Amino acid sequence: MSEAYDLDMAGWRRPDVDALGREALAYADALYNLARYLTRNPSDAEDLVQETYTRALGAAHQFTPGSNLKAWLFRILRNTFLSQYRHERHNPMVGGLDTVAPITPGETPVEWLRGDLELDRLRKVVGEEIERALMSLGEEARTVILLDLEGLTEVEVAEVVGCAVGTVKSRLARARAALRALLRDYAR
Amino acid sequence: MTCDETREHLLAARRGELAPDSRAAVTAHLSTCAACAHEDAADALLGEALEGRLPRHAAPAALTRRLASDWAATRTAGPARRPARWYRLAGAAAAAVLVVALPLAYLRGTDRAASTRMVAEAVNDHLRILSSQHPLDVESSGIHQVKPWFEGRLDFAPVVRFDGDQDFPLRGGAVGYYLDRKAAVFVFGRRLHTISLIVFRADGLPWPTRGLERVGGAQALVTTSRGFTSVLWRDGELGYALVSDVDPADLTRLAERLAPPS
Repeated sequence: MSEAYDLDMAGWRRPDVDALGREALAYADALYNLARYLTRNPSDAEDLVQETYTRALGAAHQFTPGSNLKAWLFRILRNTFLSQYRHERHNPMVGGLDTVAPITPGETPVEWLRGDLELDRLRKVVGEEIERALMSLGEEARTVILLDLEGLTEVEVAEVVGCAVGTVKSRLARARAALRALLRDYAR
Repeated sequence: MTCDETREHLLAARRGELAPDSRAAVTAHLSTCAACAHEDAADALLGEALEGRLPRHAAPAALTRRLASDWAATRTAGPARRPARWYRLAGAAAAAVLVVALPLAYLRGTDRAASTRMVAEAVNDHLRILSSQHPLDVESSGIHQVKPWFEGRLDFAPVVRFDGDQDFPLRGGAVGYYLDRKAAVFVFGRRLHTISLIVFRADGLPWPTRGLERVGGAQALVTTSRGFTSVLWRDGELGYALVSDVDPADLTRLAERLAPPS
């Protein structure tokens, strides 16, 4: 049992835990946003966020003061999601991380033309199209893109998803490439 | 630096996260490789689209309120949350069993949990007032300016028996929420302290029945939570929650003026 928990039982650290609660609640929007993109519907997202906070409260004594609370909450949310929705892993969506080949060097002139069109297309893409493309990615790809958008560092993302920092870097690059490939497909 | 290596570092290079020598290598490669330069431009545009145009979903207000209330209540009373959907059927079955064999001890526990939840929500509402940069929708020391302002903004007419005075000046009002319903929030002052009076429809709420004190003509629940004193009472169809960090005796004095006469 941790020192923090003992102190809490004695009543000394209760204000800290209350402060932790207030700080945790400040991330409700960010957690709900990730939950919406993971579960793909509002009701499941609400359940997921609520379950996340319940688990966080139960594990509050395990949180290390001074560490990144936002990343800690994201990790709980993602683990909760995986434990509740693990079946999705057996039914990956198209455009998953390993299904989209990156653009290779030495492209033909035709590909160059497509490249120019791609830049033009990306300038005009609208939110609904990006959302649809993001939703089409596999869970790992969606997660790393969204955590990166939340401003987490590669080290923090690695802690959330439980992999090496180098893996985060390559996953993020492949996820963004997959997203671009999907947006190119929409333009055709 | 090869094309593969360059592409792996494009994002970090644009964000200024690379060491100077690596950044110089990326820049040098991009100046000579049109394909990688295209990749860099396309990825930058994708980043702009993600950051600027991807819809961002905010947590529904009801969820945020529930989380705040649950966290506060659970600290002292154990979980009192809306069960996740995958537990709801099992929860409903368990609830049916409990209804059949509800012991008195459980009733007492429920009463305590309900009290805790109502107090926690009142304190949270007060904290929202304190932390808001624009806590008051209408700023006025005159109750006859503040009360009419609520017309059309609430589904009830708030009744406030005290207009404010030199000891407890009225500062203004705002529309807020108390648990699942809209509320009128009146803000009074006591020297430099803020006092929130939350007025809401009383129906359907689990009003505590034990541990009440007489405040004026009302039976009130007077508690201290997280350093704030709360006084909750019911007056006809309306419920009242008075919250502040002022001296509890001062808050009780104000509550006596706001409660129905004895």
